[in-house]
Amino acid sequence: MMNRFKNNAVFGQAALEHIDALYGYAMTLTRDTSEAEDLVQETYVRAAAAANRPDSDSNLKGWLFVIMRNAWLNQLRHQNSGPQFVDLDTNEPITENQENPHVVYLRKLEQTQVREAIQSLPDAYREIIVLRDIEGFSYHEIASVLDCPAGTVMSRLGRARGKLRKLLHRSSVKPLAMSKRSS
Amino acid sequence: MTKCEDIRGRLTLYLDGELQSYERATVEAHLSECESCAAIFARELSFLNAVRESGPLHVASPEMRAKVQEILTQGSAERAQLPASSRTVRSQSRVSWLVAIATGLLVLLLPVVVWRIVREPETPSTTRPSSFALMAADAHLRHVRGQLPLEMESSSPRDVSTWFANKVDFSVKLPNYQESSGQEKLYTLEGARLVGFEKDYAAYVAYRMKERPITLVITSDSVAKPSGGEEIAAGKLMFHYNAIDGLKVLTWSDRGLTYALVSDLDERGQQSCIVCHEGAKDQDFIKPLKPH
Repeated sequence: MMNRFKNNAVFGQAALEHIDALYGYAMTLTRDTSEAEDLVQETYVRAAAAANRPDSDSNLKGWLFVIMRNAWLNQLRHQNSGPQFVDLDTNEPITENQENPHVVYLRKLEQTQVREAIQSLPDAYREIIVLRDIEGFSYHEIASVLDCPAGTVMSRLGRARGKLRKLLHRSSVKPLAMSKRSS
Repeated sequence: MTKCEDIRGRLTLYLDGELQSYERATVEAHLSECESCAAIFARELSFLNAVRESGPLHVASPEMRAKVQEILTQGSAERAQLPASSRTVRSQSRVSWLVAIATGLLVLLLPVVVWRIVREPETPSTTRPSSFALMAADAHLRHVRGQLPLEMESSSPRDVSTWFANKVDFSVKLPNYQESSGQEKLYTLEGARLVGFEKDYAAYVAYRMKERPITLVITSDSVAKPSGGEEIAAGKLMFHYNAIDGLKVLTWSDRGLTYALVSDLDERGQQSCIVCHEGAKDQDFIKPLKPH
């Protein structure tokens, strides 16, 4: 079957549809607007120059994310600073919190509170939450992007969500505690 | 483990769409008859919905969209040169190792691997493959599937060698073996990328022989030691051969570096390589590697 993405116009149109997702991921990686914009552009430059483009829409987004992450890692290596992704997979036990009624608080949270909580997560946790819950990648796709086993994806995602629950719980409890003290 | 514990352990996978249809049916059947698990499920679903509905976290500006549009409009293979950035050039490689033998071994060893497979197809590996061999095989597969794109594409050994400078802690210098040997061009160099291994980076070099992909992964021997599989002594080197997921993987260490060579070349292609290299100058080297 002919790879329709060999046509630059078709490829360009399809790739451009993922610019918001890529920019969001770039912000997740860099935490800096200017660096994120540069990273997005570099990603598209690499993608446009690549000879082995994916052959379907379903693979395109993940492929672009892989390119972006590799480009970012290269930048870090050139800057002689490694990504701060170590140790998060082993430090904390996975806490499912299934018995904890955090959701009671979550229902009251504004969307911005959730965003702020995501932004305040450690880098590796924020990244995997963005890949899974914001961008909707499967575990297998995330493993490809992060270049790690699927088991690591599952455990890291569990810890990231546990941490996020705690942050959201904290942010929602605080106003209640303050109102009690003030009364 | 009780039924409830079993189901609760799979709720996250269910919510993430990672279960097979029959597993999903099992979970759904239990949730329909267990109020306790159904309540937990509802809380989990609510939490994930809150997170998922918080996106998108960022939106590209019209200016950036226009720049990217321009990049894509002009996009073609000629744009392989990346824009200059404000990257700080890393200090020179701490260890300087010459990989002059790498490409030569690429051609020399593949015939041996398949020769052994053809002669002794049922021979089991004596021990498990090393993690480095497993990583190389996995990286090869993902690259073939399009999930691990090359970061640079070039058929020039010199360009590939240059690209690795300052990216890995060893010098990757790929000689132009075919041209220097005057032999028929049996394979083509496609490009390279970095791959993660043991919290460090290994050099990934992609070749193609008769339309079949070949992968050479290189790292420092302080990071990976070849082990496991069938051991084949040749000269001063010890090679380890494994069949992993249908791939032929050969690992070895030499001059401070560890290599993994991965391919799925078939018998016919390899035999033609053997014929080509039977009369080569490396005859003394290749002889001990042949199966007895």
